[in-house]
Amino acid sequence: MTAARAAGAQEHGAPVAPRPAAARRGAGAAVLSSGRLLRLELRHNAMLWLLPVAFALFFYNGYREIMALPPMWNLRAMTMQNRLLLDLLIPATGAAAWMGSREGRRRITDLVAVTARPRWSRQLAVWAATTAWAELACLACIAVVYLVTARQASWGSPLWWPAVVSAAGVPALTAIGFAAGAWFPGRFVTPLVTVVMFFGLAFSTQAASGDHSYWQISPLTVGAFDIGAAPGVASFYPYLPDLSIAQVMFTVGLTVAILGGLGIPVARMRWLAAVITVAGLAAAGTAVALAGTGRLDPHGMIVIPALHDAASDQPLRYTPACSRTPIPVCVNPAYAGFLPAVTATVGPELTEFAGLPGAPARLSQVPLVYRQVSANGIDVSASGPRAAAFVVPDQVPGWLGTTGAEFAAQLAEGLGVTLASDVILGGGQKSAAAPTQAELAVIAGSVRFPPSVQSRDLAPMYGQLLPQPGSPADLAGRRFAALSPAARHAWLAEHLTALRAGRVSLAQMP
Amino acid sequence: MTAVAVRLVRLHAASRRLPVALALLAVCAAGLRGVLYGHWDDYGALQLPLIFETACAAIIAVTAGSPFGEPERATGRWLPYLRLGTAVTLTGLASGALAAAGTGMPLAGGFPDILRNVAGLTGIGLLCATLLGGPLAWTGPLAYLVAGVYGLYTDWHPPALSTPWIWPARPPHDVGGALCAAVVFAAGLAAITLRGAREHPSGDGPG
Repeated sequence: MTAARAAGAQEHGAPVAPRPAAARRGAGAAVLSSGRLLRLELRHNAMLWLLPVAFALFFYNGYREIMALPPMWNLRAMTMQNRLLLDLLIPATGAAAWMGSREGRRRITDLVAVTARPRWSRQLAVWAATTAWAELACLACIAVVYLVTARQASWGSPLWWPAVVSAAGVPALTAIGFAAGAWFPGRFVTPLVTVVMFFGLAFSTQAASGDHSYWQISPLTVGAFDIGAAPGVASFYPYLPDLSIAQVMFTVGLTVAILGGLGIPVARMRWLAAVITVAGLAAAGTAVALAGTGRLDPHGMIVIPALHDAASDQPLRYTPACSRTPIPVCVNPAYAGFLPAVTATVGPELTEFAGLPGAPARLSQVPLVYRQVSANGIDVSASGPRAAAFVVPDQVPGWLGTTGAEFAAQLAEGLGVTLASDVILGGGQKSAAAPTQAELAVIAGSVRFPPSVQSRDLAPMYGQLLPQPGSPADLAGRRFAALSPAARHAWLAEHLTALRAGRVSLAQMP
Repeated sequence: MTAVAVRLVRLHAASRRLPVALALLAVCAAGLRGVLYGHWDDYGALQLPLIFETACAAIIAVTAGSPFGEPERATGRWLPYLRLGTAVTLTGLASGALAAAGTGMPLAGGFPDILRNVAGLTGIGLLCATLLGGPLAWTGPLAYLVAGVYGLYTDWHPPALSTPWIWPARPPHDVGGALCAAVVFAAGLAAITLRGAREHPSGDGPG
């Protein structure tokens, strides 16, 4: 009836025209009636009623976790990709299965079989309406996260690929749910297919192993499985879209294949549906194969050679954020929020060493280097071995529950010790000879370790960069630490050359 | 028990698709057994049983829907007892089946965990059946699944959720979590016994 009314409406406004115009009018009427059918389905869709559930789940599970992260675009966008689809899965898949099973559940299959529209067309309208509401929920969640992050982030711009992957995953969820409901209409199908989908998606990342895993195709996977959303990824280099492209290709191919499969039982369109299904499966299969060719690049992202654009390997340009300390500390502007914590941790050392021979003129942050060493083992190291080119650890405050004290401890163990040893031992200018006890005492007295640092954390450095606990050098170091930074600076300015030459004994230390 | 009573129980069970529900509970138990043979990390080991417990609870909740509506309410004097018996029996069978599936396997939490989670999730499902109707009763347990999985996740990534209302994240012998699950189960049983599943005048719900 809707189609007939639509056609009638068209006829009232159309002039008398020869045959081609009539054909155009018919096509226009079909589009108009499809639009009306879609509007009807939008108004009577279960997903509309489940939108509050979707928003509540995202707020509870995803949003709070994302907003607890430091305001860095890479962290928040990548975490959002990891969470959003899982939060939307229950309402989206459930609503789609519910809508897909409608004709069978209400036993009206025969009744609607005699309508003008083929079953496939009707089903696609219902699926499209369900997907539209689910997609709206997805985009609303993305918009909220990105808007809040835009107000908080110190630098950078939105990463769109994680959002695209999430948005592309929604139609796949609804297609699977809808097809299950349509093929097996029954009261138990909706919860069962939803649970199965939750299991499949949530645990799809469990099988991922290394950078060559085919399971990286899961739309929840963001970059390397054992890194995921880390501050060091996509901060110094652009976010690589290689894996995202493969994931979008997979979800779109899967959606097309399933929707095509729905049309195979329709006699008139069997071949068309079969071709669409095969094309979708080919796209999805190709995407899986591409994901298996991935490798971890030094910047912590997955490179897929067939999809890789070499232009993406160029570092991002930025003006560093620098501190006003005796030795300026400069970090990537995305890390500007952590600069006060960095300077607070190594501030006494900066005052103590500023202007001494061998002391760096400024400390500049450099990117971390990631390297796949075993199945899911990834080595994260510094690209610069000297304090002048230091790294900020990935465990920044707020990331996976890391506290400010833990961050300060890592900085003291890394940057603090490196800076002190560079200045006291002369950096690369000195031979590989073992440091003297006085040198170790001065290093120990210069670095302020937070109380949370335990002896076992420092054990690898004993004898190399720090004195053994309880040794005379350790006691001399404690005496040296009791001085003010200015007093330590004055003593070092007078004795550093002699100290490096090994002419200062522990007894001569203040 | 008289032949009439037996027939009444049989007909009630048939109207609620209990044979299919029992078969699906068995499939869930078999599925749990199957996945326990796999190698899972700590997340997986703790979260997997919750997924199967949720599936069982959703199945039990969906059986609460009546295909007859008002006529059954008007004539069925024993209906509240049948509803109560069905819910309690299925919950017991689901817990037993899942526990049996985990026998001899590294099942996180063991039987106390299963009993608490299945009972609590079933209570949520029965409350949803009362509010939304039997066919949509799955929404509650499945939405709670996401909350439960997140609660277990926060055990590794603080701050951990400490509220006993997210009982899957609590240790198996935690009294607070068990009490909350028991309260929800009791509320669900009371609601489904006294009121039954909601019936939509326009059919079986939105859509």
